[in-house]
Amino acid sequence: MAPVTAADPRAWLLDPVESGSAAGFGLYLHVPFCDHRCGYCDFATAAVGDQAEQDQQVLFDRYLDALVTDLRRQVAAGPRRHAPEDGRGAVGTAWPVVTSIFIGGGTPTLLGGERLAALLGAVHDCLEVAPDAEVTVECNPETASVELFGNLARAGVGRLSMGAQSFAPHVLRTLERGHDAQRPVTAMAQAREGGIAEVNLDLIFGTPGETDDDWRATLEAVLVAGTDHVSAYALTIHDNTAFGRAVASGAMPQVDEDLQRDRFDVAREVLGAGGFEHYEVSNWSLGPARRSRHNLLYWRHGDYLAVGVGAHGHLAGRRWWTTRSTARYLDAIGAGDSPIAGSEVLTDEERAEERLLLGLRVREGLHPNDLPPIEPLALEEAMDAGLVETSCGRLRCTEAGWFLLDEAVSRLAL
Amino acid sequence: MTYPIDRIRNFCIVAHVDHGKSTLADRMLQLTELVDPRKMREQYLDKMDIERERGITIKAQAARLPYKPLGDVDDEYLLNLIDTPGHVDFSYEVSRALNACEGAVLLVDAAQGMEAQTIANLYLALEADLEIIPVLNKIDLPAARPDEIAREIAAIIGGEPDDVLRISAKTGDGVAAVLDSIVDRVPAPSGNPDGPTRALIFDSIYDAYRGTLVYFRVVDGSVKPGDRIRLLATGFEGEIDDLAVNSPEETPIAALGVGEVGVLSAAIKEISQAKVGDTITLAGKNAREVEPLPGYREPLPMVFSGLYPMDSDDFPDLREALDRLRLNDASFTYEPETSAALGFGFRCGFLGLLHLEIITERLDREFNIPLVTTAPSVRYQVTLEQAIDPDTGEPKVVEVSNPQDLPDPGQIASISEPTVKAMILTPAAYVGAVMQLCEGRRGTMIAMDYLTEERVELRYQLPLAGIITDFFDQLKSMTRGYASLDYERGDYVVANLVRVDVLLNGEPVDAFSSIVHRDEAYPFGKNMVEKLRELIPRQMFDVPIQAAIGSKIIARETIKAKRKDVLAKCYGGDVSRKRKLLEKQKEGKKKMKSVGSVEVPQEAFVSALRSTGPKGD
Repeated sequence: MAPVTAADPRAWLLDPVESGSAAGFGLYLHVPFCDHRCGYCDFATAAVGDQAEQDQQVLFDRYLDALVTDLRRQVAAGPRRHAPEDGRGAVGTAWPVVTSIFIGGGTPTLLGGERLAALLGAVHDCLEVAPDAEVTVECNPETASVELFGNLARAGVGRLSMGAQSFAPHVLRTLERGHDAQRPVTAMAQAREGGIAEVNLDLIFGTPGETDDDWRATLEAVLVAGTDHVSAYALTIHDNTAFGRAVASGAMPQVDEDLQRDRFDVAREVLGAGGFEHYEVSNWSLGPARRSRHNLLYWRHGDYLAVGVGAHGHLAGRRWWTTRSTARYLDAIGAGDSPIAGSEVLTDEERAEERLLLGLRVREGLHPNDLPPIEPLALEEAMDAGLVETSCGRLRCTEAGWFLLDEAVSRLAL
Repeated sequence: MTYPIDRIRNFCIVAHVDHGKSTLADRMLQLTELVDPRKMREQYLDKMDIERERGITIKAQAARLPYKPLGDVDDEYLLNLIDTPGHVDFSYEVSRALNACEGAVLLVDAAQGMEAQTIANLYLALEADLEIIPVLNKIDLPAARPDEIAREIAAIIGGEPDDVLRISAKTGDGVAAVLDSIVDRVPAPSGNPDGPTRALIFDSIYDAYRGTLVYFRVVDGSVKPGDRIRLLATGFEGEIDDLAVNSPEETPIAALGVGEVGVLSAAIKEISQAKVGDTITLAGKNAREVEPLPGYREPLPMVFSGLYPMDSDDFPDLREALDRLRLNDASFTYEPETSAALGFGFRCGFLGLLHLEIITERLDREFNIPLVTTAPSVRYQVTLEQAIDPDTGEPKVVEVSNPQDLPDPGQIASISEPTVKAMILTPAAYVGAVMQLCEGRRGTMIAMDYLTEERVELRYQLPLAGIITDFFDQLKSMTRGYASLDYERGDYVVANLVRVDVLLNGEPVDAFSSIVHRDEAYPFGKNMVEKLRELIPRQMFDVPIQAAIGSKIIARETIKAKRKDVLAKCYGGDVSRKRKLLEKQKEGKKKMKSVGSVEVPQEAFVSALRSTGPKGD
């Protein structure tokens, strides 16, 4: 049999995943700091742009210490500390080998290369990290430099995820992004020069004021920039953000879902023509090897530890999350208290529902063993409606059904 | 303690919603020291949760207040406060409560002035020959205009503006003077203590343990526990188990004589056996010769709506809930009906829209049955073309309260619709707007009077169907909330009416059918399909919505198929939030009724009928 190469459309079939445990073990570290909180952002972030440089550095040092302390405490407590008490999932006493690390934010690169290197060093000190583990750091183009990326590469970072959002200057202004349209391209060159090979660009489409041509030009620019991974998200306006309030007051139009669908189709067309594989509803990669392994872990219902403010962890059917307040997080860690703000042990039904809603996001779909019980009539109707299909013995969304994913899930989940 | 007739004063309070009636009643209870201050609560007499929440009185109540006027230490009077319902739906109940009194406190907000409902009830009070004691409330409000409103009151009821008492029920200021006035001016009851017993039922409530409790006022004779009573209209007979007065908690009493007010129980199993307005007498061979007290009327529903369980499995529960509600509300009616779109349900009759709202809210709250309520309709009289009524020899007339039951147009000779005589009070500046509104609803003006230079009383004959959807809201918004409305039943009038049907995805949906005037059918149909296009969420396929008269399509809209339904990414592994959003979405779907292959939200069935007229300004 001929060897399957990355470009072969059958490639993903060689990567069958039947349950979370086979997907690996991840570590998520959250850095909440940003220069400025953008109008659409509802993540756990803390804007520090107004603070004096010296105060910022003191805060960053404190936060780094807290992250390391938090990590060490969790590791020392053992995996059973996070596992459900009912013994489901058969969690052992030793931590699995870490297969992916993701430092997200906020803008983690505001901490600087040395602090991030120290953080990764602490991870290696207390956990076993696989030699080929994927290590990703999120960054904003304006924080990029050859020196920073060099430091990160030496610390073992092999992948960057950069918030480019758009290549149209007026769209960047609406999104309150501080960089100009060409900055991500420069940043990519700096990443390669610093020794980081894999770069993802984050894009947002359907922003008020964005035209079809703006979006097409943005996608073309991405192809020219030479990235190997693209995440493109339809702008979602949350009530509790500046955009949400602007929509409520009538100052900003509501998102137009038809228009977002059109832009989504354009993204599929342009990126597909550029050789990108559309492997998750919002994610494209140049072949299976360049998919985000850490994000695949989420979609495959895998296990991951959470460290930092507003971080989410999952282990064997228990999910937990930490406080979204940086001040409260620092106080808790300083006082030796847990920063955990909440947790839930999933019922078997909820686990099945999650596997469905996560699994259908991914092109590979779901193995029948991972499917929750589905009413045959509901499945037949969802297939007749063109939402889902079976392919190679797996259930997955159709191309058209992907943008109607929630309709598909709510029809199939009991 | 029993009171001689000349020491008894029976009175009620006539007031508009929010003008402070319940607060004044609370103060009176406190002033006569009947309620332990620790047990005092707001709106003491309003017992139902819905009453307290909405700040309105639905059921009538009574309180017995022993009172010694100032400087009259030995001279104790018995004041009976009969609290009346305060809404146009219940004007018959109000009239019976008024008939149990000799006097009425006319309570008017010193900032707002008289409202239509107050005036309508005032007229009922004058018809019942009550002594009117005008009182201005809320004189401590900065916006109070006591002099101006006192003049207005004097102009309407006669007398001098200076005779209008000024109080603040909130602070208690002036309330004693109101009580003194009641003693001085309200006549003592008159009645024959030795004649055959006659007592007026002004309210009844259902108690799960004791059966129906009957509130009454003795007109002639007396009653005591153990007496065997007969109710003249329903023919119920039974023995009085408990006889009590409300002071204001229920207190047993040995006997009640002429002019006294009390409550009795007599193992009356169903509330429909003790109707408001009926006469209580003593059973016996002479009972049939006792003259009933005047004014009794059978409750007559005016507004009809289909009630369907969201989940058809709830149908037996809905039937049981309606049976139970009927036990303590004899004025609503229900009979089973079926709808091709909604399945099995009930066609229910109500006194008015508030009554409808109260019943559906109680079904939801007390019985937890999610419902689809179809748009309210009225009862039409349809004269048939060919058929002859065998009893009268006249053309046969059928009554239709569900648009679905309207006979084929070919069989109809004519259709009559119920009308109301409406009274609207409005500031003079809005007369034009109000007239336009009434004429838009096919109203005919009967009279227009300037009560003062500023306030105008308009009287219209209006089709009932024209005011049961959003007339009141429109009136309020056009007049910035200043106009008020009251109405009473009018005659049936022949009108050129047709049925407008609605088709969803090509299939007629019977629950959306309405009977409207032919001249209004096109705009009605157009508005209806536009509304439905907004109310029904996008589906997986294009859904045409059509309005039709018979087979003729008069309006059409299309709900385009949805093209996006996916929530944001799972940021940083936050799957819980995503799952909860989806679960919420699924909950929302449960509030949809599947009509054919189209998911229709619960509220669409009523909201589609609300017109999109100008909103104020």
